[in-house]
Amino acid sequence: MGSDARITLEDVSYSYGKGALQKQILFDIGARIDGGEIVILTGPSGSGKTTLLTLIGALRSAQKGSVNVLGQELLNAGEKTQIRVRRQIGYIFQSHNLLDSLTIHQNVQMALQLGGIKGRDAKERIATVLQRVGLADHEHKFPGELSGGQKQRAGIARALVNRPAIVLADEPTASLDKQSGRDVVKLIEDLAREDGSAVILVTHDNRILDVADRILHLEDGRMKSLSEVVSEGTSRMLNLLEKHDPQSANYLATFSFALARVAYADSEVSDSERDEMRRILHEVARLEPAEVEFVMELSMMQRRARSGLDNRIMNPALDKVRAEHFLNSLYAMARADGVTTSEELQEILAITAEFGLAEKASSEPD
Amino acid sequence: MFGSIPLGWLQLKAQKLRLVAAIMGITFAVILIFVQLEFREALFVSAVRYHTAMDYDLAMLSPKTDFMVSSKQFPRSRLYQVPGIDGVESVTAVYMRLVSWRNPVDPANARNILAIGFDPVEPGFERLLSAEQMEAIRIPDQVIFDRRGRDEYGPVRELLDAGQSVSAEINDRRVAIAGMYEVGTSFGLDGGIITSDLNFLRILPTRRKSAIDFGLIKLEPGQDATEIQGRIREAIPQDVLVLTRQEFMDLEIRYWNKTTPIGYIFAFGAIMGLIVGLIIVYQILFADVQDHLQEYATLKAMGYTHGYLRNVVLQEAIILAVLGFVPGMGIAHLVFTKGADATRLPLEMSLESALSVFALTVAMCAGSGMMALRKLRAVDPAEVF
Repeated sequence: MGSDARITLEDVSYSYGKGALQKQILFDIGARIDGGEIVILTGPSGSGKTTLLTLIGALRSAQKGSVNVLGQELLNAGEKTQIRVRRQIGYIFQSHNLLDSLTIHQNVQMALQLGGIKGRDAKERIATVLQRVGLADHEHKFPGELSGGQKQRAGIARALVNRPAIVLADEPTASLDKQSGRDVVKLIEDLAREDGSAVILVTHDNRILDVADRILHLEDGRMKSLSEVVSEGTSRMLNLLEKHDPQSANYLATFSFALARVAYADSEVSDSERDEMRRILHEVARLEPAEVEFVMELSMMQRRARSGLDNRIMNPALDKVRAEHFLNSLYAMARADGVTTSEELQEILAITAEFGLAEKASSEPD
Repeated sequence: MFGSIPLGWLQLKAQKLRLVAAIMGITFAVILIFVQLEFREALFVSAVRYHTAMDYDLAMLSPKTDFMVSSKQFPRSRLYQVPGIDGVESVTAVYMRLVSWRNPVDPANARNILAIGFDPVEPGFERLLSAEQMEAIRIPDQVIFDRRGRDEYGPVRELLDAGQSVSAEINDRRVAIAGMYEVGTSFGLDGGIITSDLNFLRILPTRRKSAIDFGLIKLEPGQDATEIQGRIREAIPQDVLVLTRQEFMDLEIRYWNKTTPIGYIFAFGAIMGLIVGLIIVYQILFADVQDHLQEYATLKAMGYTHGYLRNVVLQEAIILAVLGFVPGMGIAHLVFTKGADATRLPLEMSLESALSVFALTVAMCAGSGMMALRKLRAVDPAEVF
């Protein structure tokens, strides 16, 4: 991470309304986003994602904390500063927001003429960007004549024609089917990487999370860590499965446990081996593709725990403090039923040895 | 050419039906304004037809005279004091009165007509009557008829043009029409006859020769009218008015404009037209801004200023003004041509009035645009997400 911080947020808070009706939407948000980085901002509806996006986009005035975008402080910024910042940002909207009375070409030109680019130069750039989004043949059509996916791509062309330093996209796939949604996100990713823009993409759509370099999660106006989010989501889904289909839950859990033991018995597992495992699970065990992935992931989790042995994954994660917490909690668990039996003590010692915790946590708990 | 995008025009063009409705509305307003203003103008021009046609430098009249057709008399001796004053060349006593004219072919049909009498040896009517006509009215019971009077006076013009002799009854006295002059009608006047002072008194036996309605004063060449006006005022008692041509006309126009409701009605009509146009354009532009609110918010988010959006709306307003004005002017022109035939009023569209109506139309559309702009203030770029 060099000095290319395009967006820096510090202790950003934001409230709607006044007096008794005041409702705080964002609480002490901090983040930093660099050029070339694609960040996905997720969170349930009403979590404040869009508000945060509008603050970064200088569409709303920041109230508290510091919102620094492209070197401009937006806290208490005047309209001139806001407009200057807006012009350096490419916006991609949920519902494309093209101007209906203009052709695709003219729509893109609207963005370009803001930068004062006119004449032959403009014509070439518009042709190039429409080529890039695959709309070269639709240049002179009106938005009403295009499909949803094409309109969204025209919106992307408009956002990117100025090669903006920052691209902000709000639910760009919300109104699209799975394939067009996928294509659109891929397009944003490719173009942004080519231009080295910083991209913030707000989405609910789990299917597109994998394009992100980083995922920021907002909930009730607060930033949450990814592990917290994944844990919460996963445990909730597992509980749900347990409740409604306990048999499948048991079956899949057992499967993964067994798989972890058998397949990962030898510590090395190659990618081709994994593909073979997937095929077998699908064809022999007759699991659905999603179930296959689930079993694979669960077994991988167990394998990851075990591979703490080889000091690759566990050691960096388990520093001294965490190791202490880890051991303390094991002893506490043993005491949970009132007595600590010798079997329990034995097991703890075995785990300590297996994970190499003994040398990390020097002091024994009392 | 590959310049800036004319967004206002493109947005108007995108909704053809609304554009047509807007143009029709503005056209209607333009016609209304044109017609009302032009009728008002015609009222004033026609009201001073005789003021303009007679030849004089100063006019003398009774202070009680509000307008020409209802003139009050004053002593002729007052006028005859004037020729003694330096710079005055001659004076003419003029008698004027509405009299009852019977249609020569349909005598049951009577109508008021303006009778004007003067001594044919005195100057003042050279522009109206020929030398022959001046001679003709010296003969008892001969009058000259305004060929541009209303048709209700009977087919006098046609008969005379056809070489026939025409006589008519005026105030129960039969007179012969010895010729025609040309002045035209006004709102207070349907037609006229000119004759000698003696014939005038024959038609109106109750009138005395010593009480006249107007005095026309002709100055020696090169004299300044206002200077002589002051001299006359000093020389004679203040029981008569002595006015320059312009003051004389202003008096008449002021009467029609201010004292009668007529001037007010036409002004009101023009204002109504303006308001109708204002409302129509406002409605159209308001609906247009309303429809494009989301798009405007998008433009603001992209970094367009409020000023840019304001110009877009004003651009639409000006385009509507031009597109509505052109057909409006065309139709108004047609209305005037037809109307001038029907009413004999001086209805014609001058470049000056066309320009001023165009300015009004642009102001009207721009004003509506300004009102519609208040909606624009509500555009919040944060709404686009």
